Amino acid sequence: MGRLILKDISKKFNDFLALENVNFEVEDGEFVCLLGPSGCGKTTILRLAAGLDSPTDGEIFLDGKKIAGTNKECGFVFQEYALFPWRTAKGNIEFGPQVKGCSKEECERISRHYIDLVGLRGFEDHFPHELSGGMKQRVGIARAYANKPKLLLMDEPFGALDAQTRNIMQAELLRIWEKEHISVLFVTHSVDEAVYLADRVVVMSARPGTVKEIFGINLPRPRIRTSPEANALRDAILRSLGSEIKRAASI
Amino acid sequence: MKNSLKILLVVILAILAAGCIGGNKTPQSVSEPINLVKMSGQDMVQRLGTGEIAGFIMWEPYPAIAMTNGYGKPLLYSGQIWKGHPCCVVAYDYNWYKNTTNADEILKRMALVQLKSVEYINNAKETRSPDHEDLIKYTMEFGGMTDPKAANLSLSDVEFVYAPNIADAQTFITRIQDFGIFDSEKWNQSGYKNASDYANALINKSYSDWASQNKNANLTSVALKTPVTIRYAYLVNDIHELPFYVGWKKGWFKDAGINITLSDGTPFQNGAFEMQKGFKSGVVDIGSLGIPPVIIHRINSNDFTIDDTRVEVVAGMNNEGSVIVVGKNITSMKDLSGKTVGYPGPGTIQHVLFLMEADKEGLKVRY
Amino acid sequence: MKVDSGKKGLVINLLSLIGLVVLWHLLVILARENIFNIPFIRLRDVPTPVETWYALIGSLFTKTYGPALTVGILEHTQASLLRVIEGGIIAFIIGVPLGIGIGYSKPIGNVLNPIIEIVRNMPPMAWIPLAVFILVAGGSIFIVFIGTVFPIILNTIHGVKSTDLRLIDAAKTLGASGSQMITKVIIPSAFPSIIAGLRIGLGVGWMAIVAAEMVIRSPIGLGYFIWNMGELGRYPEMVAGMIVIGVIGYIMNISILLLQKRFVKWVD
Ligand SMILES: Nc1ncnc2c1ncn2[C@@H]1O[C@H](COP(=O)(O)OP(=O)(O)OP(=O)(O)O)[C@@H](O)[C@H]1O
Ligand SMILES: [Mg+2]
Repeated sequence: MGRLILKDISKKFNDFLALENVNFEVEDGEFVCLLGPSGCGKTTILRLAAGLDSPTDGEIFLDGKKIAGTNKECGFVFQEYALFPWRTAKGNIEFGPQVKGCSKEECERISRHYIDLVGLRGFEDHFPHELSGGMKQRVGIARAYANKPKLLLMDEPFGALDAQTRNIMQAELLRIWEKEHISVLFVTHSVDEAVYLADRVVVMSARPGTVKEIFGINLPRPRIRTSPEANALRDAILRSLGSEIKRAASI
Repeated sequence: MKNSLKILLVVILAILAAGCIGGNKTPQSVSEPINLVKMSGQDMVQRLGTGEIAGFIMWEPYPAIAMTNGYGKPLLYSGQIWKGHPCCVVAYDYNWYKNTTNADEILKRMALVQLKSVEYINNAKETRSPDHEDLIKYTMEFGGMTDPKAANLSLSDVEFVYAPNIADAQTFITRIQDFGIFDSEKWNQSGYKNASDYANALINKSYSDWASQNKNANLTSVALKTPVTIRYAYLVNDIHELPFYVGWKKGWFKDAGINITLSDGTPFQNGAFEMQKGFKSGVVDIGSLGIPPVIIHRINSNDFTIDDTRVEVVAGMNNEGSVIVVGKNITSMKDLSGKTVGYPGPGTIQHVLFLMEADKEGLKVRY
Repeated sequence: MKVDSGKKGLVINLLSLIGLVVLWHLLVILARENIFNIPFIRLRDVPTPVETWYALIGSLFTKTYGPALTVGILEHTQASLLRVIEGGIIAFIIGVPLGIGIGYSKPIGNVLNPIIEIVRNMPPMAWIPLAVFILVAGGSIFIVFIGTVFPIILNTIHGVKSTDLRLIDAAKTLGASGSQMITKVIIPSAFPSIIAGLRIGLGVGWMAIVAAEMVIRSPIGLGYFIWNMGELGRYPEMVAGMIVIGVIGYIMNISILLLQKRFVKWVD
């Protein structure tokens, strides 16, 4: 469950062509990273997949169902957390179950489970402004998971974190992903992060955004960041991406 | 933080609670107090018509207008509250007096014109009198009336007089004191020993005495050698002050060597306003108004070293002439309890008269 | 260090108030002694702070003089506060839904905005004649309502419009329906703004009630009290009433600020 297909996707904002002819898939249970120069349309792809926006051309399918209108079967983790500031950590996690009409006990049970899963025990009753960046993103992830999505869309979730926390969060994410086993489409600017996390890496080119190259990463987990295979892949991806970034800058 | 919030809440609750306690401390008579609400005479008539107020106490012609319109009926004439009570008087400003060399001579002539006007009105009130038609015309003009019936009715309960009455003024002073309208602190500062002392200081009968000695004299024969100009003030549409209007329209002041100009602010809304915006501001030399405002404002004055609210009464205008008019379903003062009654303002003669009647009936009045 | 500077600030606050009282006293005394007077002001008529204080103490409670009930300042304050609270509650009940409707839905905004833009520019005082001549009852409460409702509407609109779009997206992906979006995202997000509107509105309402009570005569209310005392020449009571009006307005403002701080914990 959780097979995402993007077919001939184009997206125009007024006259500006942001995406052109984007084609790729996220297999069931697969972890795919999206890499590309700034402004190439990564966030736009996630928003289209979530049904928050609709493509100008082409179609998107989740488990064979065409996406039209907000896609309630995917969880979105935003770059700037986007937590409800008036809700506690627990309250944020319970938002999805609550709007679905779960009973109070059911909501409690779900939030307890995910608070434990992301390691936030003891911080349930903290408001977002009382949490660190890493903690906020854990809440964001837990909130997305608590909605039992088939597909998790993550937009540079660890971009604002320091390197240390980032590494820890990556490991945590993999742990949770393995446990819950859902598909993930993960946007990042960090090749290192992509090589550490992904089953496949989609590299995009800019203006208009389209898929340039796809790399499969068949390394066993837990991966060693500095293994020769990892280094080789990183170099290959960086080369592909680097020429794109240069091109984007020169346009 | 939490504490300051608590303190604030306590303060607010305390204010609300204290208000209640304060209210309860007043001996709760069996009945609700009557609410006196200030409004203009026209408003009183209109609101009585729409039933927004249960009644009003006001000077003529408003009672007569309300009655002829069929909006209300008289509950009490002020003569029934206090037989022959003094009402409007003629008073001069003490600062004007000090700065005018022949002030005494002017005031004598003012009193004489007043006497002649009062005699004219009293004769012309008779329907057979040849002057009756003129009088009704003057009454309608001054009282702002369109209906001669109302004009006749408004004259019927007013007794026009020219001599001021010291004994009755003294009664007023005592009652005003009882009713707490004076600032009790100020009485001692004012320098008056008691009500009689104050009444004697307030009223000067020498001018009206001179007028009655010369009542048969021709005005031109006693005229001032050099004419003077007086800034005069009166109350809006107040039939009580008709003697002034008659003397003015008939040219009798001019005959006596007095040119009348109306002061800034004339006609005034009520006597309290005339005292403050007229005499106190120094824009009025001589004016007619109810005796209670004259009494009240000197005592409530803030600074007794100056004479800004010091006036002296030189002549009467009228006795009686106010009416408590009520709408449907009201047959006694008791019926008014808990209801709203219009009046011309705090410290007016109608205010004092209403309190006197409520006192007799054991009713409470909120104003 | 921080505590020290706080204390220092408080001392300066107090000194400034004391300074004002001393200046007030001096000006009145100098005028009464004929030493100095500001033109066009009868300063000698102004009561001194001490006279005002005694007038305040003397007129706090309702007193009975024979038939006459002289209503105390506390009872007047209570009546005025009650009117402001009543008018404020009505304004809140009407203003918040209107503000949400206008802020959230373009068509509703298009219909109501022009009306609100015109009507809100008629100050509450401009409605007093209408309240006097046309309304049969509740005129003062109506004036408070007029003064309070527009700040509430405008602040609600502002709060709704400045709701973080990412929060709306987040709620959408989490499955919120249209009405859930309003109750669970828009309203909580706009809440601080709504409370700010209430605070500003009640401030305007408090000013409006005093003005209204001078014209719309019921024999109780602070505006009525100060006007009545002025008419009777009892200026110390009049000024005492004015000061009470200022203090109550200040307390109202601070109370709502504190309540907001207490209940809107997420805004730092
Ligand atoms: N709502 C919009 N209206 C107009 N243009 C838009 C809109 N959203 C995105 N764009 C444009 O589309 C392009 C792609 O934007 P997008 O945010 O998807 O880029 P991105 O790859 O996520 O960039 P970054 O890595 O900086 O986050 C950009 O040029 C952006 O200016
Ligand atoms: Mg982006």
